[in-house]
Amino acid sequence: MSQDKKNVEIELDDFLEFYLLDSQEQVERLGSGLLELEKNSDNISLINDLFRSAHSLKGASGTMGFTPIVELTHAAEDLLEKLRQGKMAVTNEIIDVLLAVTDRLKSMLAQVEQRVPITEEYSDLTAQMRTLSETGALAENKPQQLTSPTGNWPVKFSLSSSERELIEEALTVNKAVYQINVTLAPDALMKAVRAVMIMQRLEAYGTVVKIVPSVEELENNNDLQYVGILFITTEPLEDIRADILEISEILDVKVFNYDYPLTKSEKEDAVEAKPKTSIETKDEAEPNFSDSQKNDTRNNNEGKNKVHTIRVDTDRMDNLINLVGEMVITRTRLVKIGNDLKNTNQNVSLVNSLNDTNVYLGRLMGELQESVMRLRMVPIGTVFSRYPRLVRDFCRKSGKKIELVIKGEETELDKTVIEVIGDPMTHIIRNCVDHGIEEPEKRRAAGKNETGTITLNAYHEGNHIAIIVSDDGEGLDLEKIRNKAREKGLIGEKEELSPRDLANLIFLPGFSTADKVTDISGRGVGMDVVKKAITNLGGTIDVKTQRGEGTSFIIRLPLTLAIIQALLVELGEEIYAVPLSSVVETLLVKSNEIKTVGGLQMVQIRGNALPLLSLRQKFDLPEREEEVDEVYVVVVGVGDRTIGLIVDELQGQQEIVIKSLGDFLSGIPGIAGATILGDGKVTLILDIGSLIQDVVTA
Amino acid sequence: MQEEQLVTFSLGSEEFGIDIMKVQEIIRIPPITRVPKAPDFVEGVINLRGNVIPVVNLRTRFGMPPEEETDLSRIIVLQIDNKVFGVRVDGVTEVMRLSQDSIEPPPPIALGLDANFIRGVGKIGDRLLILLKLDQLMNGELINGQTA
Repeated sequence: MSQDKKNVEIELDDFLEFYLLDSQEQVERLGSGLLELEKNSDNISLINDLFRSAHSLKGASGTMGFTPIVELTHAAEDLLEKLRQGKMAVTNEIIDVLLAVTDRLKSMLAQVEQRVPITEEYSDLTAQMRTLSETGALAENKPQQLTSPTGNWPVKFSLSSSERELIEEALTVNKAVYQINVTLAPDALMKAVRAVMIMQRLEAYGTVVKIVPSVEELENNNDLQYVGILFITTEPLEDIRADILEISEILDVKVFNYDYPLTKSEKEDAVEAKPKTSIETKDEAEPNFSDSQKNDTRNNNEGKNKVHTIRVDTDRMDNLINLVGEMVITRTRLVKIGNDLKNTNQNVSLVNSLNDTNVYLGRLMGELQESVMRLRMVPIGTVFSRYPRLVRDFCRKSGKKIELVIKGEETELDKTVIEVIGDPMTHIIRNCVDHGIEEPEKRRAAGKNETGTITLNAYHEGNHIAIIVSDDGEGLDLEKIRNKAREKGLIGEKEELSPRDLANLIFLPGFSTADKVTDISGRGVGMDVVKKAITNLGGTIDVKTQRGEGTSFIIRLPLTLAIIQALLVELGEEIYAVPLSSVVETLLVKSNEIKTVGGLQMVQIRGNALPLLSLRQKFDLPEREEEVDEVYVVVVGVGDRTIGLIVDELQGQQEIVIKSLGDFLSGIPGIAGATILGDGKVTLILDIGSLIQDVVTA
Repeated sequence: MQEEQLVTFSLGSEEFGIDIMKVQEIIRIPPITRVPKAPDFVEGVINLRGNVIPVVNLRTRFGMPPEEETDLSRIIVLQIDNKVFGVRVDGVTEVMRLSQDSIEPPPPIALGLDANFIRGVGKIGDRLLILLKLDQLMNGELINGQTA
């Protein structure tokens, strides 16, 4: 019995995972859609989108029984409905409160994820939204009222399946579907001709799905006066309406959002891949690249991505990667057996064919491994997407005007890197908005555009990805930095640094030139943390600045953290891996040149004293039995600190797959992780940072 | 009557039992890589089909003298709270059922073992079976190095 209960729980849990994934996505979509809406407040299809996201979120949460989410989304839906019907205009207040709703929803979903009851308060938001939807008067500057068609409009549409398909497809690619109600003068002659004229004009803007009554009916019955048209377009409504009104003997034209009833199965259909054949709207050929059109192409792409991706649990993927790694190792064993057989002069042709097969298998394995590693790659857009909101909120608060330009969001890098790069980037962007971009007045005075620009860009650069955050603000005050550095004794009084070196001083701990501390940045903890986070990822950060013209931060990161180049070193029977990124050089040092100064072993290399660390000592191994004249020293460095590691032998370099030592053994000093070598044995990876720290602080 | 299903193993002359639900698998001893600075009862790490898992030497953990590896030596791979680790034992003896009323609380002076590790003592005829409390095995002074 208890087993049954367990099963039910597991199933619910499965649903919950799906629900969470889906809902988080909807909330994300709401958030980014709202920011978009703020810029394009009359984009009806965007409002439709937002409404749909809120609606499906409400529906799903209702099924799962999360009442607070249902009530909150319900209120938001009401407000969006008002916007959708054109009863209210989009205002900053509305965007603010709806953004606050998305934040609250995020916290609620976080609680759901932690399997705790939802305790987030939300009555303040629902109240605010109610007041807004009640007081928010009719939109003034909206001549075409997008109210629902009045009940007594005599024309009803009944759609054939091909017409439905047309509409569904238009909705999938976020085109707007409108109902246009045309009232002809009752005494107009040849109403069918008017209808044909209307259709001709409309065809210039988009696709006419249906006209009721049909042209034939109008021809046969001149008493008909009301004509309804279903129309798909991305063009501004006002132009279309004006164009139709130009036709004589037309009394009135009203344009409504066509409320196409999406049933559940239809909604799924809409997401399903449908070859884009039937719709070929003329507007694509038109030279008018309006904003809404740009949105459409973007949404188009989104639609395509959705069709071609599936969601997979990362655990399953990691497992796959592990198994492939194991296969690679097993193959090396096969190769060894093949070679052994060859040496024993067994049946030659059989052995040869075994070895040939091994070579082929190796090629396949290589490709398989690469494809599998590629599964972990995620576009950096997932990180970039959180910044428009950050910049927007800051602008609202501070009165600065900033435009955020995002490029290269499709550049892919490893999921593990993606997960950790977000916070340091947030910090850099905060610095840009707070210190980089000046107040509008100041910008005007400097002869710049009032609106500052922050650009995020990402692209591949060999085995690395470069992420560039640049602003067109006032640039770093190098003079101030130099003074501050002297004051803090970071550079000598007489020491002269190049502008670039000066700029890079901001990455030193405790260095902040901000005079005022805001809640955005300037607490003096900051850029050093950013640098540390990026160094931990095996990356580098550099800053370039031009006074008065702006600052650029250039971050370079390895594409993946899972595979690194390593130098394998031997200590007796044991083998350790040194990440090649921290190896400066390897040396052969005469034993008698090693001096002990204050308990620390040192050697003079090219005039500089290099501290040494015997790995045997460090790792509690006995000293080597045989006396040696010379020892191998691996010079490793992090930042500007370098030490030499004394090892027995160098074994060569190879690519290794980094594996965690697990929870039980994490935090062992000097060890960063483990890897599995070709013979199946586990080898430990050295944590160079902590080894250097040991020596330097000792 | 409630019964427990146990995997039993030997360390020297003692016989121990652990809950079968916690046992993921039992393997022969692969090459073990020593982890310097790890607690002394951690013998090292092994490669379990591409995953690196730690191995606890139960002899060291229980303060018994070390013993050479034999043909019977095994690693029991355990999964506790979603964490996987192995314990090295002298030999796995059997899988058995034990009714709960033949389990007694641990004696105050617990057979020379740390009482923290003992859940109870099972009696099968004149055999004594020490039932282990597994969640304590890797706990306590787990990683000395963590603060270092």
